[in-house]
Amino acid sequence: MKNNRLGNAIRGLTYTLDLPLVMLLFFTLILFTLILIIPLATLFLKPLSVLSLRILEDLIRYPYVSIPPLGEWYIVSDRGEYKLIIVRFKDLGVIPNTILVSSIVTLLSSIIGISIAFVVARYDFLGKGILRIISIIPLLYTPFVNAFVTYKIFGDGGILGSLMLSLGLPYSIEVTYIAGTILAQTLMFWPIVYLNTLASMMQIDPSLEEQAENIGSRGFRLFRTITLPLSLPGVAAGSGLVFIFSMEDLAAPLAFKVDNMMSISIVRAITGSQSIEALSVEVVILAGLLLLSAISWFILIKHYISLKQYAMLARGVRWKPRVSKPSLPTLLAIYLIVFPLVLFSMLPQIGVLIYAFSKSWTGVIPEGFTLEHFSNVLFDSRVLNGLKNSFIYSTLALVLIIIIGTVSSYVISRVSLRGLSAIDLLAMSPLAIPGLSIAMGLLILYGSIFKDTLIDPYINPMFLLILAYAIRKSPFTTRAVYAGLQQVHRSLEEAGFTLGASRTRVLFTIVLPLIGINIIAGSMISFVYCMSEVSTSITVGSLNKSQAPITYIIYDYLTAGYGGGAYIHQASAIVTLIIVVQLIAIITSNYILKFRYSILGI
Amino acid sequence: MAEVILDNVSKYFGRFKALDGVSFTVKPGEIFTLLGPSGCGKTTTLRVIAGLEIPEEGRVLIDGYDVTYKKPYERNTAMVFQNYALWPHMTVYDNIAYGLKIRKYSRDEIKRRVKWALELLGLEGLENRYPLQLSGGQQQRVALARAIVVEPKVLLLDEPLSNLDAKLRVRVREEIVSLQRRLKITTIYVTHDQEEAMNISDRVAIMDRGRIVQIGTPAEIYYNPYNFFIATFMGRSNVLSGVVERVISDKLYEVNINGLRLNGTSTGAKLSTGEDVLVVIRYESFRKADEDDKINVIEGRVERLSFIGLALQVKVITVNGHVILAYLPPREVIDTGAHIRLYVSPEDVKLYPSITGVID
Repeated sequence: MKNNRLGNAIRGLTYTLDLPLVMLLFFTLILFTLILIIPLATLFLKPLSVLSLRILEDLIRYPYVSIPPLGEWYIVSDRGEYKLIIVRFKDLGVIPNTILVSSIVTLLSSIIGISIAFVVARYDFLGKGILRIISIIPLLYTPFVNAFVTYKIFGDGGILGSLMLSLGLPYSIEVTYIAGTILAQTLMFWPIVYLNTLASMMQIDPSLEEQAENIGSRGFRLFRTITLPLSLPGVAAGSGLVFIFSMEDLAAPLAFKVDNMMSISIVRAITGSQSIEALSVEVVILAGLLLLSAISWFILIKHYISLKQYAMLARGVRWKPRVSKPSLPTLLAIYLIVFPLVLFSMLPQIGVLIYAFSKSWTGVIPEGFTLEHFSNVLFDSRVLNGLKNSFIYSTLALVLIIIIGTVSSYVISRVSLRGLSAIDLLAMSPLAIPGLSIAMGLLILYGSIFKDTLIDPYINPMFLLILAYAIRKSPFTTRAVYAGLQQVHRSLEEAGFTLGASRTRVLFTIVLPLIGINIIAGSMISFVYCMSEVSTSITVGSLNKSQAPITYIIYDYLTAGYGGGAYIHQASAIVTLIIVVQLIAIITSNYILKFRYSILGI
Repeated sequence: MAEVILDNVSKYFGRFKALDGVSFTVKPGEIFTLLGPSGCGKTTTLRVIAGLEIPEEGRVLIDGYDVTYKKPYERNTAMVFQNYALWPHMTVYDNIAYGLKIRKYSRDEIKRRVKWALELLGLEGLENRYPLQLSGGQQQRVALARAIVVEPKVLLLDEPLSNLDAKLRVRVREEIVSLQRRLKITTIYVTHDQEEAMNISDRVAIMDRGRIVQIGTPAEIYYNPYNFFIATFMGRSNVLSGVVERVISDKLYEVNINGLRLNGTSTGAKLSTGEDVLVVIRYESFRKADEDDKINVIEGRVERLSFIGLALQVKVITVNGHVILAYLPPREVIDTGAHIRLYVSPEDVKLYPSITGVID
């Protein structure tokens, strides 16, 4: 009986899929295995092979853990006419710093994101449309520079402090160091929680809330007992992503001069290494820890959410989400708290534009409008080379992405064989896996295997970059294509089969024409995110400067005069160009797909 | 004209046994209908024949060839899907021509055949429209045209009328039958509508929980339902429970239904005295009793009358307290509350052992 069942399963696979499709499936699986699974496994296997007590001891000493914590939580310094309050946070060491910062950022982002999502989902007020649009702006990906703008506003001698003084206040505030990092990341990441939560809230069948109201629940109790629990899938997805993004974020610690962060340690170790042997085991373990935290989050969320059935009742039926007029206190809260907060979160993006178009911005007010930075940047051979590199890598990666996205979403939606459901998880996992872990895994695995060959990443990093881009950014295309396939009823294909068409033929004459638009839209998004990919670009991409992609050039511009952002005007000009490309791609693809939230999660 | 044979076919979905040893032979050129309630396995059977599902056990033969493990596109069956499955990105012409292109006919030949199919189904002038620009009835006909134009060995129809409104349904049904008679394609038809099945079929197979429970012409099944399930599935029936009082012959028995004594027949199992039985009597099996009718007479009071056009439906409470529904000729004059005597012939009183088929 057992044998028979196995035989049936094998017969089932070859029966449901044609040879070309099976081959593409294996190609995809092999790609994921080689670029994702094995390199990530190496992160754990490699340290295990050399693990000693000394290394473990190292990991609980400075700089990895500092006992007691160094520095001050905050400093109040008396400057004669006024008091300067510097909010800092103590240095607890690389590992506690990272975990603490990510947790706090996740908590703050969740509170802000959920509140704003609730307001937008359930209240109708003047300016709601504008609020919805501008609350997505912080998601526009501005590699590095936005954190520098946050620093410019809140950091040492920042605009906020100067403004307080010029208003004649006896106090001035500076938010620096780890506290500044938390601030910058919260401003950057809360929209991720907001968008995911909003999407969940819009899916709640109004009758669920009406039923609760009907038996007497209202106000905050209604929110706490019904609305919030039902939005949990969105909240969990959003906050999970924030936790992971925060852990691997480089921009904020760079801008606020925090050295003791896992992300910074990993990047410094790689960019500073001359050869694969120069990478210390401790950094590899850090990359492994990064991965482990991400995976734990993932499992926790999956476990917690799958415990409860979140069927939103009548699926497929269109209903009008519950929207009501806010009471006066709520209305005040919307205009006095929500709006300023959202506008506030836009500041980094606005700041990028100011830097890009101004001659100098040292005081409160920027001086002199100029297009000089753009012309400087566009005549800089390093920038042009970087743009060209990024364009080539992204285009080549896109070819792979289209294969990966189409094949895996086709298999996920059409083949119902046990075991193949793992492909679903695998295809989406790059969204939740820290890019720095992937970069480190790729480097230590292929750096040692292909040492001194043509594809040694220390000689020719471009091959690894292309593969890494393809894997990391494929989920955007997979998701778009999957959504398209959901619209194509199975019987449309089956009708083709019964009329004598093979699966390959059905794929080309029926399926692809019907989902082509989704492939185009999805791959546009993937392409944009390839162009602005950071984690592997500034690590693996730094190993041969002539092959460095544009994000590395931006990073280089900003870190050349370390921390101060010596070439921030030029970097902002490049980022402005990237924003334009992003906007075009996102708007076009949203228009095509009619997806309202396709930028969930960068 | 091809013969289709299913030999002991079983199909599992996980642990659920969707088909349980299904066997039947469809004769060349006939319309064979699979009839049963939803979830009984009729569509799965059709998909197994089309090759869209492979069975775990058993064989499928088309025209003498074993096609059990052949891909759908190697079988030359054509299927009309419940939702028609017209390709929205192709015109009517391209939809119909699709199968012909695969068969590598010349351009002119394709044109000629599509034209033939368009004329046959009254679709002339619509060839450049897209499916979304057609009415439901037109879409249905395009789906049919697309299937027959490739001259399949077997035509498979999966509830083809279920998406049409009642009036159109009758018209398209007639069109399908006359088309099939002209082309003489072996046709397997799936429906849950017993009236549709009886109207359209040469032979009907009744399915229940993955099994074929009876195969026969519509009349055979109607008059000799093999078990309780079929008896109650076909037509409208009164169901009463009683005990066998006396064995008259192999088929004929006297039953006692809580004081009401009737003679009835058993089409399946032999019964013995004292056995519990279910008694099934169709509404239309009754007539007003004459003075000479001494046995098989039910006496009672007319509780309610409802005129339903074809008949006068009479609800009778018998002297023993049973509730009986009967169809009498529509122009019959009866008063509510009046005493009534109804006669039912012993062959219309069907008896079934009460253990089998009553679980649901």
